[in-house]
Amino acid sequence: MTIQTTAAAARPYVPGRARADVARKALLYALIVAVSLLFFVPFIWTLATSFKTIPDSVNVRLIPHPWTTSAWHAIWSQYDFKLYIKNSLFLAVVITCANIVIAGLGGYAFARLKFPGREVLFLLVLGTLMVPDQLRFIPVFVMLTNWHLIGNFTGYILINLVTATNLFFMRQYFLTIPKDFEEAAKLDGAGYFKTFWRVMLPLALPAISALVILQFQGTWNDFVWPLILFGQGNTAHYTVQLGLASLHFTYSTLWPEICAGSIIAILPILAIFLAFQRYFVSGVVSAGVKG
Amino acid sequence: MSGVNETVGRPVRSSMQGAKLRETLWGYGFAGLPIAVFGLFFVYPLGYAIYISFLHWGILGRMPGASGTYNYAKVVHDPVFHTALKNVFEYTIGVVPLEMALGMSLALLINQKIRGRNFFRSAFYFPSIASSVAITTIALYILNSDGLFNRIIGSNTPWFTTASTVTWAIVGLNTWTTSGTIMLYYLAGLQAISDDVYEAAALDNTGAWRTFRKITFPLLKPAHFFVLVVFGVGALKIFDQNFLVSNGGGGPNYASYSPVLYIYRQAFSNYDFGVAAAAGVVYFVVIFVLTLVGRLTVGRPEAA
Repeated sequence: MTIQTTAAAARPYVPGRARADVARKALLYALIVAVSLLFFVPFIWTLATSFKTIPDSVNVRLIPHPWTTSAWHAIWSQYDFKLYIKNSLFLAVVITCANIVIAGLGGYAFARLKFPGREVLFLLVLGTLMVPDQLRFIPVFVMLTNWHLIGNFTGYILINLVTATNLFFMRQYFLTIPKDFEEAAKLDGAGYFKTFWRVMLPLALPAISALVILQFQGTWNDFVWPLILFGQGNTAHYTVQLGLASLHFTYSTLWPEICAGSIIAILPILAIFLAFQRYFVSGVVSAGVKG
Repeated sequence: MSGVNETVGRPVRSSMQGAKLRETLWGYGFAGLPIAVFGLFFVYPLGYAIYISFLHWGILGRMPGASGTYNYAKVVHDPVFHTALKNVFEYTIGVVPLEMALGMSLALLINQKIRGRNFFRSAFYFPSIASSVAITTIALYILNSDGLFNRIIGSNTPWFTTASTVTWAIVGLNTWTTSGTIMLYYLAGLQAISDDVYEAAALDNTGAWRTFRKITFPLLKPAHFFVLVVFGVGALKIFDQNFLVSNGGGGPNYASYSPVLYIYRQAFSNYDFGVAAAAGVVYFVVIFVLTLVGRLTVGRPEAA
């Protein structure tokens, strides 16, 4: 903004131009605010409806009348969202931790250690990105059925222990760390695992933060794999996303409850996003442009 | 490494080889676990899917007799699969240009010197990272027959459950949710354009529209290619929205069937794993050919 003011001050003799600039700026702000509102009206409307009664949920009026929290109570106890939140959190935490360690180990090996076949194996890892999910539905379901891992968390955790994206991401970060740190650790007599665990992994903290945020979001939002692996039969293993879909399928006009469920499905990600938004933005752009 | 070994003496050389062996073993040890996961759940399933696609395979496993290419013939001649393909092509041709146009416009808007750039960028991006189930549910609420949208425009069409409108309702929904991500790629593209180009244009008194048409748009070519390929393929794989708007059924009148939903339903509603696997293979080939044709006609995406 300071640049803007000095530029305006530099040409005081052209008031017409300055006025045009002000008009242009005003138009720009009006446009950008209007678009943001358009993007956010659905969320605001949903939040408002979660405090409404069912008859009030079809009215075109933002402020609930009467105001009630009964939908939130129903969601929490009657429709079991307490359990679904627990399940979703459990899966997201376990899978994110597994990804830090396993993608870290693999990323470190591919970035720093020399072993025969390294380049071929790394190509194989990247090649898994091209295997589409829809081709994996059936074989993975059959494999997990044979191992009695359908309808419990173990199978889902197993197939999500590490992703190629995370491994690639960690490898790229390890490549940027100067070799001096490892050499110093080696001189102190540290072995390979100790060097990795005590020196390299802590140095990779910025990459780990980004991985944690993106992986947590990915697991929390995942729909199709939970649907296939524990969406059939009893609801004991439902995640928040499955619970919300099932609530909507079963009670399609219970809008206040459905809206409260939607807010619950979005809220943790919104909180993480507000706290760590630079990781989201840099993660997306680096994955796309540099990858 | 071998060059180093040759210059040093013999005893050191053998200890160097020991160190090398140690490094190799640790390397395999570290990389082994991820390689095992990828082999077991990505590479092996690829072959297993092709194997299943040639067999009679139900929910309880393999059934007697080989089907040969029967499953493939069934998929290729199934009118529901044809409808699913038609739906996803309509959807992709509709949504990709719209989300590119909106994403690019948002990037141009955000790229101006304005207060609160980061706030607006986050606001536009947020729908991209919210759960697809919640977003689709919200859209179902707003676009239902007595929802907010119909109250405003004075209609009562249930947009997601009417055969003629469901594809376009999903186009609208996903334009809203993905244009924020596309905006980020275009922003990276815009920031890669040198200021000198614009200064030269300003010296020539080139107007804003002409600058955009003659300079900005062509210089965004790498971003156009990248977004087109990535989001084009992404659109072809749509599933969640189709499943959610139709209670998993693909209706009304098969209008919300996508190929991935077809694969899902063959497996988990009809319990015909053989046909589902065959459909998976067929659709994999379709996407592969389309990507290839895209590359050949539009050109190779240059490194952005």
